[in-house]
Amino acid sequence: MPSSQAPPAGATALDPTAVRPDINDARIVRVTPAEIRATLEVLRSDGFSMLLDIGGADYPGREPARFDVVYHLLKLPARIASVAEVGTPERVRVLCGVREDDAVVPTVSDLWPSADWAEREIFDLYGISFSGHPDMRRIQMPDDWEGYPLRKDYPLRGPANERTPRPSFALKSNVAAGTPASGRTAAALQKQIAQARGRNEFHGAADPAATAQSGKTPGGAMTAGAATPEQLAERPHDLNLQKDDTK
Amino acid sequence: MTTSSVAPDAAAGGYNVDVVEQSDNRMVLSMGPQHPSTHGVLQIITEIEGEIVTKAIPEIGYLHTGIEKSAENLFWSQASTVVERMDYLSPLTNALCYYLAVEKLLGIDTQIPPRGQQIRVLLSELSRIASHCVWLGTGGIDLGALTGFFYCFDMRERILDLFEMSGGARMHPNYIRVGGVGQDLPQGFLGKLDAFIAMYDDRMRDVRRLLQKNPILQDRMIDVGIISPEDAVAWSLTGAPLRATGVAYDVRKAMPYSGYEKYQFDVPVRTEGDAYARFLVRLDEMDEAIRIIRQVRKELDTPGPWQIPDTKFAPPPKETIALSMEALIHHFKLVSESFRVPPGDVYQAVEGPRGELGYYIVSNGDNRPWRVRTRPPSMYNLQVLKKITIGELIADMVVMIGSLDPVFGEVDR
Repeated sequence: MPSSQAPPAGATALDPTAVRPDINDARIVRVTPAEIRATLEVLRSDGFSMLLDIGGADYPGREPARFDVVYHLLKLPARIASVAEVGTPERVRVLCGVREDDAVVPTVSDLWPSADWAEREIFDLYGISFSGHPDMRRIQMPDDWEGYPLRKDYPLRGPANERTPRPSFALKSNVAAGTPASGRTAAALQKQIAQARGRNEFHGAADPAATAQSGKTPGGAMTAGAATPEQLAERPHDLNLQKDDTK
Repeated sequence: MTTSSVAPDAAAGGYNVDVVEQSDNRMVLSMGPQHPSTHGVLQIITEIEGEIVTKAIPEIGYLHTGIEKSAENLFWSQASTVVERMDYLSPLTNALCYYLAVEKLLGIDTQIPPRGQQIRVLLSELSRIASHCVWLGTGGIDLGALTGFFYCFDMRERILDLFEMSGGARMHPNYIRVGGVGQDLPQGFLGKLDAFIAMYDDRMRDVRRLLQKNPILQDRMIDVGIISPEDAVAWSLTGAPLRATGVAYDVRKAMPYSGYEKYQFDVPVRTEGDAYARFLVRLDEMDEAIRIIRQVRKELDTPGPWQIPDTKFAPPPKETIALSMEALIHHFKLVSESFRVPPGDVYQAVEGPRGELGYYIVSNGDNRPWRVRTRPPSMYNLQVLKKITIGELIADMVVMIGSLDPVFGEVDR
């Protein structure tokens, strides 16, 4: 059976909502923060009585609006209504593009009380604040948290000095940065390995006579060209690193 | 006397409780987040005058685990494992909704084999019963009815045994996959399902006798936490809290998915809007769920494929991997880099045990989702506490929380 999967059309699409396939899941309205109140008020008086959800999305590099605040509305009778009266309610999705340098959207928590927590969550996780909201503070993260976790440029791991130390050889970037999180440089590591090899601890302590016959040092390294600890420390610790010839 | 025990440092973003002028019998009480009757880690800053609540501010976020962020950094096929952890009482519903959205983006939503859809419906309805069993059992304990708890958890345990048979795990089976389910139902599953269906009616009659007609429970629940249909819609309530006010909105009826339109079932509705109405609606929902399960059970005798036979999404059968180079390649590609989804955004909703569970998913064409936004029904249902607790007894607050049935893995995500 042939695959119905479309070829990956640009894995770096800046605005996936603009190239969306033909899916009939909701009517889509795009607005700016200046129009959002008026749009939602019109929709509300149009019968879209339920604000299902407010979510956020981050598209770094998209101009002029980096963020989307996404309102999901449902046309539901706000009274006692049977299954037949509810029918198949219409859905509307309002995408409100928000600029990074002016990340403020007027609140709708006075129109729908349920917008309260949803707007606080977007403020908490995206740093988009809602003007006129009665209680604009963080909701999921602690009050003294720095940064907005759902932004795409938010680091997935904490700063190096707060991380659990990892051995420097585990992460190439640590070596490249020069100061690994563990505080142990590559040279120091090589020295440690060389010292361990120098001791008769590896592979059992072979007796010197047998070692001389087999031509190997007790550590197992070949006698010819065996490096001293000092030599090992001077070797480039990472052959993938480019030497800086400009200096 | 001025009480200011809560609000440690209002200037530094403390609690917004107005504690300036308080009379002698007014006090601020912090309930939770370690209170057993909050069904999780909910904190409610309550201002009470005598025993009457004058202000209630629910504080959430104690269980925030960044699931949406995690999902953005996993493959499409891996993200379902973390979204299953949101509503940990009905994980299969979360996985189903997530994959329905992904399938819509892929354009394969019409190609799911019938047996795959039947298994999905079966497991969703079993999840609904299992989830309501937890709510019913723990909700009874809140009100002092301990016996019902054991009956309910026994019933749930049998459903979890079925999950374990089908997916390998009791709680988070990760059994639903893109284009169907992970494997066919194992041998012996249908027999065990028949045994569950056979015992359900008797067991449910016992539970109803223990709890539904219990005068103590009726006294505690009737006319407590009344919500009007207008308020329910304005506060975005869905599921049993909405249907207990008289608005018969059920996603399974309104926008059927996975073949729900084929099955005969009613949407239980009551118009009282109080805690007892929500209680009865959920009990009736369990009966409707078993009604759907009985219909699905008849169809499950017919064997057939359970996942879309497209090896771009579904891994080829294990036994072909050692024989066919192509199968091996497909398997390797799926495991090592998953599949890619065409760019676009989609919103998909299902009727979870707690209400409309929605996923707003954005893909940028990569093998990882760009954005996975959940519409958490518990969070919106819980928010109405701010309104319905005002002017009620503080002892009734426990009943109201229980009747809204929040799951904090989902509220905080």
